[in-house]
Amino acid sequence: MDTLNAPPPRCDPPDAGLVEAVLQELAVMLEALAGDEQFNDAIDLHSLPLDDGAREQLRQRLGRGEIEARLELAGLTYIVETAYAGLWWVRHADADEHTVFEQIVVARVPPLLPAHGADIAAAARRLGAELSG
Amino acid sequence: MTDSQPLGEMLRERGVSRRAFLKYASYMASLMALPPAAAATMAQSMAQARRQSVIWLSFQECTGCTESLARSFSPSLEEMIFDLISLDYHHTLQAVSGEAAEQARRQAMRDHKGKYIVIVDGSVPTAGGGVYSAIAGQSNVAMLAETVEHAAAVIAVGTCAAFGGLPEADPNPTGAVPVSKLVMGKPLINIPGCPPMPQAMAGTLVHLLSFGKPPELDALLRPLAFFGETIHDRCYRRQFYKRGLFAKSFDDAGARKGWCLYELGCKGPVTYNACASLKWNGGVSFPIQSGHGCIGCSEPRFWDRGGLYKALPTGTGERRRVVPIAAAGGAALGVAAAALARGRLAAAASKEAK
Repeated sequence: MDTLNAPPPRCDPPDAGLVEAVLQELAVMLEALAGDEQFNDAIDLHSLPLDDGAREQLRQRLGRGEIEARLELAGLTYIVETAYAGLWWVRHADADEHTVFEQIVVARVPPLLPAHGADIAAAARRLGAELSG
Repeated sequence: MTDSQPLGEMLRERGVSRRAFLKYASYMASLMALPPAAAATMAQSMAQARRQSVIWLSFQECTGCTESLARSFSPSLEEMIFDLISLDYHHTLQAVSGEAAEQARRQAMRDHKGKYIVIVDGSVPTAGGGVYSAIAGQSNVAMLAETVEHAAAVIAVGTCAAFGGLPEADPNPTGAVPVSKLVMGKPLINIPGCPPMPQAMAGTLVHLLSFGKPPELDALLRPLAFFGETIHDRCYRRQFYKRGLFAKSFDDAGARKGWCLYELGCKGPVTYNACASLKWNGGVSFPIQSGHGCIGCSEPRFWDRGGLYKALPTGTGERRRVVPIAAAGGAALGVAAAALARGRLAAAASKEAK
């Protein structure tokens, strides 16, 4: 038997209870965001005992929205809006595309997307210097 | 601190944006089991901090701990730690050598008195006045005492530094001891593992840098974020354990199907570490996933637990204690218990002989 190419051990069916629990928590957080636009929190998927099946089930339940962003930050980061406005699936990868960690961010805009004030100030100085020759 | 420039400014000049910084802080918060909201606080704290002076002392070690932290087959987030610290002394990584290296260590100690962090890998030999390991004519014992005197904190990385490791294993000819036996009155963190996980080392350093204090530790001074669960707690093969499906040998049908390795000596149930969740080599695999049981390398005295392939029910005590206790079982535990213990030892010895 070619053990190197053998299929991985079959796991139990995805833990539907855990997926439901995560969705319930997201619902509470989304409610908080609806009441306060400044609300900003996340669920760290790494901290949960989600196997691949449960993770995929959660992804399917949340669906996809209108926005997909690809960020190049010490490796790639993918931000995908789910079908629920305010819920964002954020996957951080290293330079080899290995997933380093994943989060579901609950916010108007994920904190990684907006340009930071210090970076804007530095960019303004840089552009000004470039234009002034 | 080494440089006067805040880390945020320094990194921006190197092309590391605040976004990347925030991503790194989010990753570290995730590793340290902190709430996601802590990432922003960590990013802000680190951005305002100066580079942390670190002195790395290597004693009775194999360099595996350094390799774990520094070696990467591709750029990874863990490597950012080298932007946040100033590694002022490290035998393997530093450019200078000889007396110049020792001068660099003492200069860093003077410049950052009371603020530098000392990282130690390798155990410390104490037999014969410490003659079994010396650097630049100075015994490890003396160098450790000199360096930690004005340190802010000490981190013992690797099982050798944390618990004694292989050098301390029976019969311990060099009198090797862990760092904890020699360092008193300083904040001490143990990050064991043979080698330790790079995320554990980097995450602990970042926690110190962000919050100015060690993370929450267990009774063995190990960060709970990485050593709060056993391998068994997060093992993907636990489903087979629960169903009583065990591999009996490394090449049988059960092994090929990926069944539990408990009966082949896996020490997962008694080993606290993050291998099963974080995995190694960029999250690719870990020993059990590769078909070999956990050897318990992040626990004290794992070398003397009676054999890597002895299943846990046969005893995890040191080999030199198990046989006398079994032999004395007739008096202390009853004839039946002694016979059972002798039978298990014989079966295990027979299995090992094969």
